[in-house]
Amino acid sequence: MNRKWFFLLLLTINAFLLSGCWSKRELTDLSIVSAYALDLNEEGQYVATVQIVNPGSVAGGLQGGGGQSLAPIIVYSVTGDNLSDMDARITKTLSRTPYYAHTNLIIISDELAKEKGLLPILDELERDSEFRTSTTTIIIAKDTKAQNLIRTLTDMEKLPSLQLNKTLETAEKNLGENVTRHVHDVVNDILSTGKEPVITGFTLNGDPEQGKKMESLQLAELEVFPQADGLAVFKNGKLINWIHGETARGTLWVRNEIKMTITSINWKKEKKAIAYKVMRQKTKVSATITNGIPKISISTRAEGDIAEVKVPINLTDVHVIENIEKELEKDIKNEIEKAVRHAQKDKSDIFGFGEVVHRTDPKVWKKIEKEWDNSTFAELEVDVKVDALIRRTGLRNNSLHTTLKKEGE
Amino acid sequence: MLSFFKRKKNRVNQQQPKEYVFASQSSVLMDHSLSKNLEDIKRITGNSPDIVIRKVKIGHHATHEAAVLFVKGLVDSQTVNDLLIESIMKNSHLHKKLHLQDIVDVITNEVIPLGQVQSMRNQEEVVNSLMAGNTIILIEGINEALTAGTQGGEKRSIQEPTTHVSITGSKEGFTESNETNIAMVRRLIKSPDLWMESMTIGKRTKTDVSIMYLKGIAKDDIVHEVRTRLKKINVDGILDSGYIEQLIEDETITIFPTTEHTERPDMIAGNLLEGRIAIFVNGTPFVIIVPAIFVGFFQTVEDYSIRFDIANAFRFLRVIAFLISLIGPALYVAATTFHQEMIPSTLVFIVAAQRESVPFPAVVEALIMEITFEILREAGVRMPKAIGSTVSIVGALVIGQAAVQAGIVSPAMVIIVSITAIASFATPAYSMAISARLIRFVFIICAATFGFYGLLLALLMMIVHLCSLRSFGVPYMTPFAPFFPSHFKETFFRRPLWAMKERPQLIAGENVIRQGENQKPEPPAAREMIMKDKEKGDEHES
Amino acid sequence: MEKAKISAYQLFTLLLLFELGSALVYTLANGAKQDAWMAVLMAMVGGFCLFFIHYRLYCYYPNLPPMEYMQMLLGPVLGKIIAFLFILYFMYVAATILRGFGEMLVISAYPATPIFFINALFILVIIYTVYKGIEVLSRTSEVLFFVVSLLAVSIFLLIILSGNINMDNLKPVFEEGVSPIIKTVFTDTLYFPFGQMIIFTMILPYVNERKKVKRTGLLAIGMSGFVLALITAMNISVLGIDRTTRSPFPFLTTIQMIELAGFLERLDVYFILLVTLTAFVKLSVFFYVTVLSVSHLFHVKHPSHLAYPLGMVVLFLSMAVASNWTEYNQEWFKVEYVYIDPLFQVILPIFLLIVAFFKNRKKAV
Repeated sequence: MNRKWFFLLLLTINAFLLSGCWSKRELTDLSIVSAYALDLNEEGQYVATVQIVNPGSVAGGLQGGGGQSLAPIIVYSVTGDNLSDMDARITKTLSRTPYYAHTNLIIISDELAKEKGLLPILDELERDSEFRTSTTTIIIAKDTKAQNLIRTLTDMEKLPSLQLNKTLETAEKNLGENVTRHVHDVVNDILSTGKEPVITGFTLNGDPEQGKKMESLQLAELEVFPQADGLAVFKNGKLINWIHGETARGTLWVRNEIKMTITSINWKKEKKAIAYKVMRQKTKVSATITNGIPKISISTRAEGDIAEVKVPINLTDVHVIENIEKELEKDIKNEIEKAVRHAQKDKSDIFGFGEVVHRTDPKVWKKIEKEWDNSTFAELEVDVKVDALIRRTGLRNNSLHTTLKKEGE
Repeated sequence: MLSFFKRKKNRVNQQQPKEYVFASQSSVLMDHSLSKNLEDIKRITGNSPDIVIRKVKIGHHATHEAAVLFVKGLVDSQTVNDLLIESIMKNSHLHKKLHLQDIVDVITNEVIPLGQVQSMRNQEEVVNSLMAGNTIILIEGINEALTAGTQGGEKRSIQEPTTHVSITGSKEGFTESNETNIAMVRRLIKSPDLWMESMTIGKRTKTDVSIMYLKGIAKDDIVHEVRTRLKKINVDGILDSGYIEQLIEDETITIFPTTEHTERPDMIAGNLLEGRIAIFVNGTPFVIIVPAIFVGFFQTVEDYSIRFDIANAFRFLRVIAFLISLIGPALYVAATTFHQEMIPSTLVFIVAAQRESVPFPAVVEALIMEITFEILREAGVRMPKAIGSTVSIVGALVIGQAAVQAGIVSPAMVIIVSITAIASFATPAYSMAISARLIRFVFIICAATFGFYGLLLALLMMIVHLCSLRSFGVPYMTPFAPFFPSHFKETFFRRPLWAMKERPQLIAGENVIRQGENQKPEPPAAREMIMKDKEKGDEHES
Repeated sequence: MEKAKISAYQLFTLLLLFELGSALVYTLANGAKQDAWMAVLMAMVGGFCLFFIHYRLYCYYPNLPPMEYMQMLLGPVLGKIIAFLFILYFMYVAATILRGFGEMLVISAYPATPIFFINALFILVIIYTVYKGIEVLSRTSEVLFFVVSLLAVSIFLLIILSGNINMDNLKPVFEEGVSPIIKTVFTDTLYFPFGQMIIFTMILPYVNERKKVKRTGLLAIGMSGFVLALITAMNISVLGIDRTTRSPFPFLTTIQMIELAGFLERLDVYFILLVTLTAFVKLSVFFYVTVLSVSHLFHVKHPSHLAYPLGMVVLFLSMAVASNWTEYNQEWFKVEYVYIDPLFQVILPIFLLIVAFFKNRKKAV
């Protein structure tokens, strides 16, 4: 009895003592990577740039004194042929092991996205248990190098990665021309034969060299700042085109990803006379198949308020409201149809129509799956139905224009 | 080394149970001669000066010599002087002419106005009775001794209990005297079913120990088991109820208490009503309650005197506090050294910033702080009250300010340790709180070697261990395991008082029903009451 | 036989956690694609049938453990051989479960730790539990049942609240008809996890409420089937069928997707907690029964004394069953589900039942 328990005890103690530091990592031995950028150099190799948090100056306040004037981030670059290799190679310049669990932004240059596509880099991101594909946002650097975006210091949020993430989130919530895509969304879209991804692009305004300096943050109006700009359209994992403005928004309408947005309509020759704030919307895409040929119908239902009126108009009249609603429906329908036409021209099914067809009739889908992108989708008949509802008109019933016009009479 | 592994066979057989010299009851009887008896008693007690021998002459014309013996301080001197010695010397019955043999009867029946008078013949019994605070009367020519119950002397008066403090509820706490304590419980439960058994335990201390239970509610098996275990005790001395607790536990290799104790009579009464058994030990204000179950240590008396919703919320809070005090620092260590991905990004930056200048790994930091805190607590407990506050000031300065400013520990660690410390005070039972204090260190080490997995395994081990414990045959983890729905409602949660129909099944015997049906208060609607008043012409309300 | 009794409720918690253990981790019914949840439900029905077989045998010999009635039914020699084969089977499955658990931890959270130590620590806790006996094990499972249900309910709520569920991922239903589903049921899901309840034939004689055994068993299997189907459906609806089948531990990925209120994210620990607790019960039951069977077959007086040596055997066997993760997975699909599991979980019990039926009829006549 005693002997047995003695051995057991010995084994336990050994397990604890020997195990020591296998998977253990002290916080002070980690360099926490907050953002990760990928570029392509002239030789066609990857250039990875990591943005490492300098915790002392991010947390701030507590230690006081010197910490404040240090940059909140430290940026390193490394060249290599695959991600894991670069990950290992970058430690030549780092005093601490890079740690990717808190990386919430991946920036890919448009060059890379066009030439090599996303496919070669996604596997590592999925396989690595440190990377969080569900919380890591992916964006495309438009007309600039990805590493420039990662280097630029920002004013509101100390961490540039946080600034970009939050900017994107805010734009998505209020404007509806951009959309936050996590890595796993992109993987899902790429894998599905009936859907292609769209990813938001960011540009950098100003001279990238200036953006690195702490002094550049002293100004009230920054000379260098990143800005969300357009949606990148992919096909077979490669970037093929950009869409902007109303086309981008139309795309997101179809994808049911609009959260809130402002739509303006013309009214009696006055351009953009009435602004309508969409508070919530629901878009349903369905497919009907006749003789093996699919037809898509999109039905959108938007709810919102009148946000602004530039013309004298009687908002207390139900008929007037109905008229505005009709105009709105026309406008939104236009937008959506424009987006659909654009995508058909690109031959990239960014709306997931193929998935809808697959769900509706798996057998037909099997037949048309192969030529979907190149012919079927491009010639697809799409029927759009929009239902716009005005619920409220804000804190005033009639506009001041209405009163002014009456006085003028 | 090999010999170390060899099984030590027959070791038990080699050890002959040593004859306990004092254990065997000597059969020396009292002598006829008074002087011989007195000599013997003096010899046995080593002629101790606190034994008073008062020689008196009694009987017709004071012909019979007698002696009154008592121990100074142990007896109530007023009783001895006024009632005993005076009545022996002056009582008219004794002045009649009497036979020698009759004197004993007369004294027993007519002279001494005291409750307890007994005659004894065994010399040792007499001496024991003397040492227990009784007064002995010896008479020349009679080989018997009379003992009169005169126990008394100075004792502490009833005061507010210092542990298990409650805001509402009774302010009485037990004292060191068994009689007082038992009386306090009897005052709360006036049922004749409140049975009691007494015994003397400890060969030298001869401590009075009493078992108390409600006949018909407590399980007979458990009462019998308690009795057997108590009778089995054969040690030198019992100075505190803690001694008894350690000698009657089910499982000795455990860190968890399997018996409860309290200073509060109302808590004892409540537990007796649930069918538990109380063990009173003379000389200590702590009364033992058996059987004890795990959740019982998180209950307070107040739980039953305040409304059930609030009581349940507090009980839940206490369990959470216990969990925090168990695994708080371990979780911190595991999260910061193994699972940094668990922590929200912003928080991880803050913690990382704080740890920048700390020279130790997180686990060492945690151990330093925890040990410092334990030292501080231990020092604070033993210090005289006047110095105690100084210790806490120094401790607060050392832990709170200086250590952080010197960069030896991080502020986050200080927060964790403080929360843990506060949480550990929220467990009402001290015996359970100190268990948590100790296991905490095991958890920290497990968390530091295998992160969350190690911590989880340690917790699993603890749960298995808890499930394997029993207290007087009752599984420790009831009502969780074995799961009793009805029992669960009474112990883990507390139903409204009016709905508590049943007693805990495993503890109480056959008699499970606690109270009558329809105990829910159903006052008439307020409106009716007012109307009634109006009919009577009472017009308080216009 | 150990002198112990467990209640029907304890049997319920044991059986439920047993079925969930390690089945939570893996992708169930891969072959049925997005209809995997239906396959799980169908396999559950198959589980009911298997349970009836075990229950009938239990009714014939309510007080005898299988190791003994096997010898009564088949004669001492053949009975002993088959009993011994069963022991080997139990031990092998225990080892594979342990290995799978260790692999899961190494892959998901402890990449730098040797799997041997992870397994060793786990088996140490299990040895301790088994050493304490079936009563302690079943009481522990009762406590864990509380914890696990709390965790499970909160995880379900979190997944639903985080809005990740996309029902479209479950469509189209019956893409390839019913045949792939049925095929999956009989080549895969029936044996793992449902068929493994064969192990409970050793535990049924301990239950003190004999009349409730049938109801309890069916309830536990039904509930575990329901929970597993729910989790499978949830995995597919959150991740999509492609990523579910590509992930070794889809439930982990599903939990990682939770993002709520800005700070309720990265809840991997939830997964580790849930999996460790259920795997603990599963492996403890398996290991306990292994120990018990050995003690019955070889007439060892105190089964608990075998816990430590057999634990070491299982530990080293767990290291030896496969040389890598891919081989480990292959073993399940190419060997276990094809040859071993059908033999021990279905064919032998049916055979025993037939023999028992005829023997008892003879007696009755």
